[in-house]
Amino acid sequence: MLKTTISPIILSFAGKPKASRFIFQAFNKVVLQDTTPSARRNASTNLTTLHQGPPTSAYVHLPFCRKRCHYCDFPILALGTSSSSSNVYEEGKEDDPRITNYVDLLVREIKATRTDFDANPNLETVFFGGGTPSLVPPKLVSLVLETLTLNFGLTPDAEISMEMDPGTFDGQKLKELMDLGVNRVSLGVQAFQDELLKACGRAHGVSQVYEAIEFVKECGVENWSMDLISSLPHQTLDMWEESLRLAIQSKPNHVSVYDLQVEQGTKFGNLYTPGQSPLPSETQSAEFYKTASSMLRGAGYEHYEVSSYSKGDFKCKHNLIYWKNKPFYAFGLGSASYVGGLRFSRPRRLKEYTNYVADLENGAANWCGTGVVDLKDVATDIVMLSFRTSKGLDLKEFGEAFGSEVVKSICKVYEPYVESGHIVCLDDMRREVMSDEVNTLVASDEAKIENHVRYLRLKDPDGFLLSNELISLAFGVVAP
Amino acid sequence: MAMASAMDLSPPTFFLSGTSSSSSSSSLRRLSSISVSRFRRLSNHKLQLLCQATAGTEPQSGLSVSGSKLAARSGQDRLLKVPISNIRNFSIIAHIDHGKSTLADKLLQVTGTVQNRDMKEQFLDNMDLERERGITIKLQAARMRYVFEDKPYCLNLIDTPGHVDFSYEVSRSLAACEGALLVVDASQGVEAQTLANVYLALENNLEIIPVLNKIDLPGAEPEKVLREIEEVIGLDCSKAIFCSAKEGIGITEILDAIVQRIPAPRDTARNPLRALIFDSYYDPYRGVIVYFRVIDGKVKKGDRIFFMASGKDYFADEVGVLSPNQIQVDELYAGEVGYIAASVRSVADARVGDTITHYSRKAESSLPGYEEATPMVFCGLFPVDADQFPDLRDALEKLQLNDAALKFEPETSSAMGFGFRCGFLGLLHMEIVQERLEREYNLNLITTAPSVVYRVNTVNGDTTLCSNPSRLPDPGQRKSVEEPYVKIELLTPKDYIGALMELAQERRGEFKEMKYIAENRASILYELPLAEMVGDFFDQLKSRTKGYASMEYSVIGYRESDLIKLDILINAEMVEPLSTIVHRDKAYSVGRALTQKLKELIPRQMFKVPIQACIGSKVIASEALSAIRKDVLAKCYGGDISRKKKLLKKQAAGKKRMKAIGRVDVPQEAFMAVLKLEREVL
Repeated sequence: MLKTTISPIILSFAGKPKASRFIFQAFNKVVLQDTTPSARRNASTNLTTLHQGPPTSAYVHLPFCRKRCHYCDFPILALGTSSSSSNVYEEGKEDDPRITNYVDLLVREIKATRTDFDANPNLETVFFGGGTPSLVPPKLVSLVLETLTLNFGLTPDAEISMEMDPGTFDGQKLKELMDLGVNRVSLGVQAFQDELLKACGRAHGVSQVYEAIEFVKECGVENWSMDLISSLPHQTLDMWEESLRLAIQSKPNHVSVYDLQVEQGTKFGNLYTPGQSPLPSETQSAEFYKTASSMLRGAGYEHYEVSSYSKGDFKCKHNLIYWKNKPFYAFGLGSASYVGGLRFSRPRRLKEYTNYVADLENGAANWCGTGVVDLKDVATDIVMLSFRTSKGLDLKEFGEAFGSEVVKSICKVYEPYVESGHIVCLDDMRREVMSDEVNTLVASDEAKIENHVRYLRLKDPDGFLLSNELISLAFGVVAP
Repeated sequence: MAMASAMDLSPPTFFLSGTSSSSSSSSLRRLSSISVSRFRRLSNHKLQLLCQATAGTEPQSGLSVSGSKLAARSGQDRLLKVPISNIRNFSIIAHIDHGKSTLADKLLQVTGTVQNRDMKEQFLDNMDLERERGITIKLQAARMRYVFEDKPYCLNLIDTPGHVDFSYEVSRSLAACEGALLVVDASQGVEAQTLANVYLALENNLEIIPVLNKIDLPGAEPEKVLREIEEVIGLDCSKAIFCSAKEGIGITEILDAIVQRIPAPRDTARNPLRALIFDSYYDPYRGVIVYFRVIDGKVKKGDRIFFMASGKDYFADEVGVLSPNQIQVDELYAGEVGYIAASVRSVADARVGDTITHYSRKAESSLPGYEEATPMVFCGLFPVDADQFPDLRDALEKLQLNDAALKFEPETSSAMGFGFRCGFLGLLHMEIVQERLEREYNLNLITTAPSVVYRVNTVNGDTTLCSNPSRLPDPGQRKSVEEPYVKIELLTPKDYIGALMELAQERRGEFKEMKYIAENRASILYELPLAEMVGDFFDQLKSRTKGYASMEYSVIGYRESDLIKLDILINAEMVEPLSTIVHRDKAYSVGRALTQKLKELIPRQMFKVPIQACIGSKVIASEALSAIRKDVLAKCYGGDISRKKKLLKKQAAGKKRMKAIGRVDVPQEAFMAVLKLEREVL
């Protein structure tokens, strides 16, 4: 049983990236039992194989910042604010060796990534994240894009996003970037209150926020997102509502709302304890989240992911790749890729990253990691990522991939939370299935739940707010 | 076997070639042979190990300390028979730390029973349990040869366990003797435990020889302590011996006094065999090894013997003496002390206090004093990991082979899964069993608060016993509840009288009597419920008196009390293992403490959770756990989900370790902490 179930998966792998050795561990008996022959025939499109194909997305890490924000624990390289420069927009100078050297390294890394997929589809999304990618001179961005295009190909309508901070670009720079193909801007506004921006160590003020919004509009960037952070120290509900209001007024077609996370080793981590003043209490910060959800939805945004809101067709295509558990490349310091079912993080320190790139070139290192793909990991990834989205977990797909038994167990563990309104069950047509009916289905021995309940999703906002609690419950049954 | 380590540490070369197959047996420790001081680590060692080390006996070597070459040499002849009139059987009564082990060592050395060179071996090892808790494991018995006025004498030292949980075992050991050394630390005075054992000895008509030990210490006040002994016990101390076991002072005087003052056994060698079992333990290779004193008749290898209380019969595979390791002999007669190995399957077949007679020539009556073991304290033992349930059962069965007093039956609990309700002689016994299960059998256990056996008189006139709070009949069916009471005697320097009375009062104690036993020391008598003692009473006693007070208790019977069952409800679900039986007056404070602790320890859930303490349906204390409002909504930046996933996995693993009480996940630690709290507050 086990063997026949597994073999098609293994066969479909022949000739895939040499770098990773795919050894599938049996998921577990219960899970595999129910994998019907038809499900196996569909193996090539099933959730368990989704990650095996060639990636069509790339994340590129451009780690430069003027200085480190107090909450930030990402791998960044702070350039400092040079006093000699009167024009802040020129801070990331074309000849700054720190930037040129890094981009050189990045280009070498991309070039040294030699894939061995049967098909080589073009990239459909590229995401420049950081750091503050807008500090990188357009010429160097161009170099990176060219290299990506040469190495992997780039579809003409690819989504090319770039994170940009107010105060690090002007209209001209943005225009240049757009000319290179950047067509989506993610603007790191974070807050509309100078005192809050200052308190979290942002290198810009509110006036620069407005300037930046002007530049974005001036340049006709249609697809742009505004990033906001909730639960900042000293933030009040009034301030938060003001930020949301001003955000809505600026009419971005995408808003990302991040709940502040106090990380160990950051300045905030040293200064503050979550839930304690000057940080808002847990109740307040839950209130902030709910306020964002209701205000933004009220303004016509769709809350399509825990922290993402979009208007119309402007969901971030690149991020959707993540939530769908599809593969993606990643290049640059500390970046994490997902290729062939393996998650692989590059070194976070420049020196080690430099060595890594050299090793990559001489064949001593591997570009997508090595290891074993454990189906349980695939299943838990799918659970945690799907639940971040408003679409939720597709039980039919999940059942086909991992068996009806698991689907049933998940529904069983969620029964009380369907009743309490944290979890929503939806049918094929995305009509809500009520909790009594769910209870009956769970109790029934015959019913295949996924035929009646197609999707499970976290309720917005109550379920989203408790996503960890809820997802970890599913983890308990998916990977006991 | 309790201590494999003891065996491992003793090189085999020390074993006497002539001994029985298992020298390890001498290092077997039994529950009933353990005495404890929780607060002092004993610097002295156990004779046990010395038994290992004695073995090789080259008569001429290694004599030194106390000099007498002659005496030492005679030690080598200790297997030689002496007339019954030259046998002396005695035990040593001493409070923990008053120097019993050191004195016993010295006696063995001076009589040449153990070579000086080998004595050192005992310092090598210390059992974990002992090191941490100050428990010494006794030597069961030692046969010594001593020449007094040119006549050879056979002296048998029979050791006694020191703790009150084992007072029955103590009484049987004493019943096997004609005399006892009462060893009192000349700088400390009489302690409660000593007192209890002296009374037992007097009940058994033993000749008591007062010995003041540690007279070399600067703080020694021998005269004052002698007065105390005279006043408290009423013993004539005019012939008390001053000694320092450590320095070897007074040892010969003690040996002389044993010969001169302790009566010889009666010569009843011709009567049908009656031998009193004063100790037994299970040896995995030879079955139960029984230590006994022949009271009447004689027994030899190959005899078909009959245990009168258990009604079991066996053939004596091996008969021998303890000197102090087991040495086979052909025959033992009235007055002698020795051991039998008869492939007895369980100690329950050959319990302490039972009488051995011949199968074919049975004695008319058994020796008096035999008692069934009655557990006084109960608790539930549950494996933390449900998979360990079969292991726990096996371990308990193995311990029971060696411990007839240990009782257990399976118990199921909604919160804790499968486990056992276990009965113990007392608190120490309980702790020792728990520790052994955890250490020797690698079990991870949750222990419920200990409870006593209640007697419930029901409305229909029945009386039932109840040791498990969750099985207490409903209030409607109860007419009254009785609980066991104990009489406790506290001996304390007078400075702490107030503190102790306060403690006893808090524990529903009823003051009985107080008297000064010396200028500076008082004896206080209280009667209080046993249930009040099963918690941390002893710990409190020690901490409130800086360790100076000592205590002794004995069960005096049942009394009716206003007892109620206190239940804990989490989210309206009753948590059975947390139910307790408490006195009505204490219910509120206990209820409050428990609910508060639970609130502290139960992680918040996705909904509000009430935590209540109830008597029947009446809520007497209540707390509420507020709902979690928000998780950490980490962004999975750049698609890097690894950290988030790790967090979720950890969270899932945390849930797995919890027990579901209805919809509420309660971590194991919360149970343990509350159970611990119950032990403290009850």
